Amino acid sequence: MATNVYATPIDDLNAWRSAAPDPETLPPHLVAFLQGGVFPTIGARGPDGRPMVATGVGTRVEAGQTVRVLVMRRPNPGLIEAIAAGSALAVTFSRARDHRSIQLKAASAKTTPVAPDDICEMARQTAILADELTEIGYTRAQADAMVSHDPDDLVSIAFRPDRIYTQTPGPGAGAELER
Amino acid sequence: MRSFDLGALRGAMEGVCASNLCTCDAEGMPNASMISQVHWVDSDHVALSYQFFNKTRANLLATRQASVSMTDARTMARWRLQLDYVETRTEGPLFEVMKAKLAGIASLHGLEDVFRLLGADIFRVLSVEEVSPPMLEPPRRGTPLLAAARACMNDLAAATDFDELADAALDGLVRHFGIAHAMLLMAEGDGRLYAIGSRGYAASGVGAEVMPGEGVIGVAAREGVPIRIGHFSADYRYGAALGAAALSAGLLAEAPRSVPFPGLRTPHSQIAVPILSEGCVTGVLFAESDESLRFWNEDEDALVLITGQIGAQIALLRRDEPAAEAPLPAAVAPGAGLVTVRHYARDDSVFLDHDYLIKGVAGAILWRLLREHCATGRTDFTNRELRLDRSLRLPLHAENLDARLVLLRRRLEERDGCLRLEKTGRGQFRLVTAARLVLEEADEAQAPDVA
Repeated sequence: MATNVYATPIDDLNAWRSAAPDPETLPPHLVAFLQGGVFPTIGARGPDGRPMVATGVGTRVEAGQTVRVLVMRRPNPGLIEAIAAGSALAVTFSRARDHRSIQLKAASAKTTPVAPDDICEMARQTAILADELTEIGYTRAQADAMVSHDPDDLVSIAFRPDRIYTQTPGPGAGAELER
Repeated sequence: MRSFDLGALRGAMEGVCASNLCTCDAEGMPNASMISQVHWVDSDHVALSYQFFNKTRANLLATRQASVSMTDARTMARWRLQLDYVETRTEGPLFEVMKAKLAGIASLHGLEDVFRLLGADIFRVLSVEEVSPPMLEPPRRGTPLLAAARACMNDLAAATDFDELADAALDGLVRHFGIAHAMLLMAEGDGRLYAIGSRGYAASGVGAEVMPGEGVIGVAAREGVPIRIGHFSADYRYGAALGAAALSAGLLAEAPRSVPFPGLRTPHSQIAVPILSEGCVTGVLFAESDESLRFWNEDEDALVLITGQIGAQIALLRRDEPAAEAPLPAAVAPGAGLVTVRHYARDDSVFLDHDYLIKGVAGAILWRLLREHCATGRTDFTNRELRLDRSLRLPLHAENLDARLVLLRRRLEERDGCLRLEKTGRGQFRLVTAARLVLEEADEAQAPDVA
């Protein structure tokens, strides 16, 4: 059977949503960016009131609204503890090949178990990131080490972003992307 | 009592892998960012590069706390540090060291116009946590650096005068450290530096001049601190400042009065280590490479040991100088031919016929020798009488006379012309002329008061 080349109402709805998105929903280009092999830098505030930095493995976006950043549990006890204690969250996602960076912030987040397909999705995203790292001068061994992670140790940090900022280096960095 | 050894983490502070930073605002909202540089300051402190006035900056000023994660590019081990903000420095040695390193990082990423260092933010380190253990075996290089430093220092210790010391330093870098391109420069009183010797270039460049603050060499001399850069950066080229200075002095229409700088056209790694002698910067030892990241912090450590010994030996040689009387003039047969030696008082530059030879204090020394020679026929001189000659305007402290005589002698040798300086003993030398000389003071109005 030939592939249907006619337009569908679903196309119209998608186009409409993408042009005039629901403020609760992240635009599709941002969802694609977040899931495209970018490096997450995570910030929280520990129960002692001090900042706590961590790095993530990859990212998934559900229904265009909930962002889940996958991190390793064992090296990041302070981050897990801060989230459990109700810390706000900031995550900057950086693309190696062009330094494009976007920061999402949320008033709170929670730790959730990984979904069954998270592990192969993390393998896909980290492969992209590692390839891009070699393009900007990392050796293959360095790039592979940079993205290496233990799939059995993954946990996800889920949040609904309240605010979005551009963090790409250059004039205007840090500006809020209003929705 | 500290529970960490920050010195062991210096490999993660080379600026190869970007670091990750978190700060919080007064309400407790975190901010996460990448940061180009975490720099090792001492066993308790690091410095972060302050490049933009942004949320991170506002948070630091408000809450004075940060958490940073950084990676050692050689092993890919990762650490997390808890930091308390102390102060920001916007000038001085630490600022210049970080500025040079950042210029290399920016150039690597094509961000030269975006990455500018506004300040070096100093932090006290509260804790260090290992996030990932080493994953790669660090690459092995040739001779271990301590062994190379030891061998090189042995060679230096055998030098009996400045000439031998300069050669031992340059040959030592080549032989023991496997450094292919190196240069030794000595300081004039006004902050300029002159190349006294080099290895690994098509032309020796003896007499080539570096202006204060120009390139890694000029910055290292001005700040008295080693400057190291791991990638090519247009900001640290040589020649531009000199060209501008020449232009502003209206010199470009005349014969060039400088020796071209012999360095690599696009060095991917450069290191300049100041030579301190009795508390003053008396010179700079410089090395460069076509390879990126050729010089790491341990290479810098090793070269600091070498320059430390060079500086100490320069001071010793100076004190050791024999108080020899000038020997009787030797009969030297005048050579054939006629050469006009022209002196410009405004910068003590000396030209042989129409070719630039030398300037500065070395030029003044030559002019003094030639005038005395022409007036009295004298050919044999001592370092000591020059040192005591106030017309040469040598600085009272750390005056580098030996280096200037070596520079002068080497320039004359390279010209292979009508003039030579020959060593005749410790602290003694002979002016050998192979032509009849005509001295001409080109700028009589400003002629110095030459004895």
